[in-house]
Amino acid sequence: MSDFQADAPGVWRRFTAAYATLLSWLLAITVALLIIPVSLQIFSRYTELIPAYIWTEEMARFMFIWTIMIGAMIGVRESTHFEVDLLPRLRPRGEAFARLVGRFGVLVAALVFVHAGIEFTRFAWKRTSELADLPLWYIHVAWPVTGVTWLVFLGEQMLGDLKTAFGRIE
Amino acid sequence: MTGSVLSPGMAALILFGCFFLFMFLRVPVAFALALACLPILAIEPRLDTMNLMQETFNAYNSFILLAVPFFLLTANLMNVGGTTDRLLKLSRAMVGHFPGGLAQINVVLSMFFAGISGSSTADAASQSKIFIDAQTKEGYDLSFSVAITAVSAVLAVIVPPSILMIVWGGILTVSIGALFLAGILPGLLIGLAQMATVHAYAKARGYPTYPRETWRQLLCATWISIPALMTPAIIIGGKIFGWFTATESACIAVLYAGVLSLMVYREMDLKGLYGALLDTGKLAGIALFCVGTASMFGWLLAYYKIPEVILSNVSAWGMGFMATGFFISLVFLVVGCFLDAIPAIIICAPILEPLAKGVQMDPVQFAMIGIVSLAFGLVTPPYGLCLMIACSIAGIRIRDAIRDTFIMLLPMLVILALVIVWPQVSLLLPSLISPEFLR
Repeated sequence: MSDFQADAPGVWRRFTAAYATLLSWLLAITVALLIIPVSLQIFSRYTELIPAYIWTEEMARFMFIWTIMIGAMIGVRESTHFEVDLLPRLRPRGEAFARLVGRFGVLVAALVFVHAGIEFTRFAWKRTSELADLPLWYIHVAWPVTGVTWLVFLGEQMLGDLKTAFGRIE
Repeated sequence: MTGSVLSPGMAALILFGCFFLFMFLRVPVAFALALACLPILAIEPRLDTMNLMQETFNAYNSFILLAVPFFLLTANLMNVGGTTDRLLKLSRAMVGHFPGGLAQINVVLSMFFAGISGSSTADAASQSKIFIDAQTKEGYDLSFSVAITAVSAVLAVIVPPSILMIVWGGILTVSIGALFLAGILPGLLIGLAQMATVHAYAKARGYPTYPRETWRQLLCATWISIPALMTPAIIIGGKIFGWFTATESACIAVLYAGVLSLMVYREMDLKGLYGALLDTGKLAGIALFCVGTASMFGWLLAYYKIPEVILSNVSAWGMGFMATGFFISLVFLVVGCFLDAIPAIIICAPILEPLAKGVQMDPVQFAMIGIVSLAFGLVTPPYGLCLMIACSIAGIRIRDAIRDTFIMLLPMLVILALVIVWPQVSLLLPSLISPEFLR
């Protein structure tokens, strides 16, 4: 893949790689953060050290939503969303073609997430959460962000598959 | 059917037809479920894609599902922190001298693991790395090694704590404490059935065995493992005595595993911690994203009252207690082949609940039939997550391990039949320890 270094796909490739690294860090951090509100909830019930905060449960749920969505973004990048493999193993060209078909399905879902997600975010624009009074769009915006992220990763992958399916075999 | 354009039959045809078509075209299952909903959302004037956003949001906005990443993280912390190694030594001292020693250790370690973590996929991933290579080096067949690792991993969802029990209890409002207690006996029985299967294999194929370790070694191994073995007592006890909610008990498990890894066994470094957190996030994200789209799918089924239509046909058969039990189990076995266990519970358990109620089946027994049946689905193709994980780590194709997997499932089917035929298998422990949970 050395001939990719200077041209546009190379820049894109580096960008997506950097973006994936950023997402990985965010994901690890959100998982670690999930522990805090739930622990607080337990300790505040059994000790006098901290007051019984009311927002811990909501906080945990909202962070949890982001954890799932970031995990789902990385799942597309690493092609680890589980699929059912009923077809026999094909040759590289056919395999690339089959992957393209499957990824096209994800692409459609990504477009829906972007389009409906924007409306979903707008819908929550002026509303706040019940307990912590947090702006709800902080959470809803995860949907369009997920859609856009899928498009970014899918673009790179589908381009590669197209090359394998229709181009010369290197 | 006031106000909907599509008849239930038509809607069911579109939903299931699209789902299977997209799945066949190798669209990932989570996305195939979402795409199958789209034609309906487009046709039905009262629905649109906003419903998809809102339903997935509602599914993820759940304090109960939060237990999933916690249990995954517990398992990952145990692996990087040296807890798993201690339990491995203890298992060896206990059963290493049985025929097929290493494979027996594989099963027993899965039981210990099951008592601490509630996630079969985490078990399959970690034990595949430990055992498959080691077993083939000792002369075990590769397909046998893959199959026993995958099949023993399903114990994690049957032996408490279990993610499936937490989800089931949350959706059908059954006492999770009672489910935890109910899972102990079936779990032990299935573990024993697996050990017997390994025994038969080892005798037939001449698999190796280890020399018997001394009582002193066994005592030492037990002593070192005591802190780890305390975990199930803390989690299950905390739940039964009402100290914590299910999710909180999973959080306690994380904290305890963290303490073991950082302060007691002291084998975890920052890199290991980052790896454990990231791994948890990735697996939880993939598994739970599918729960969201499955909820949308299930929501649409309910919108058209499709379950009622199906059930009215089934109720007309007039099945008795036994037949209903086997029918429920069959549904979950078939659905488990195509769906992950949590989405399967979300879609099917509410549909089947009236059927179980109709024959006065205890909700706890109903749950155990469902959960044990779905556990089989974790290793049955085309969508058997544990088998997929074990195969991909071993670098073989699923069809190469299928034969041994199915042979191992046969004795387990007998246990499933016991759970159906004999309610006491599930209900004995809950009725002894906390009868107030039942009924």
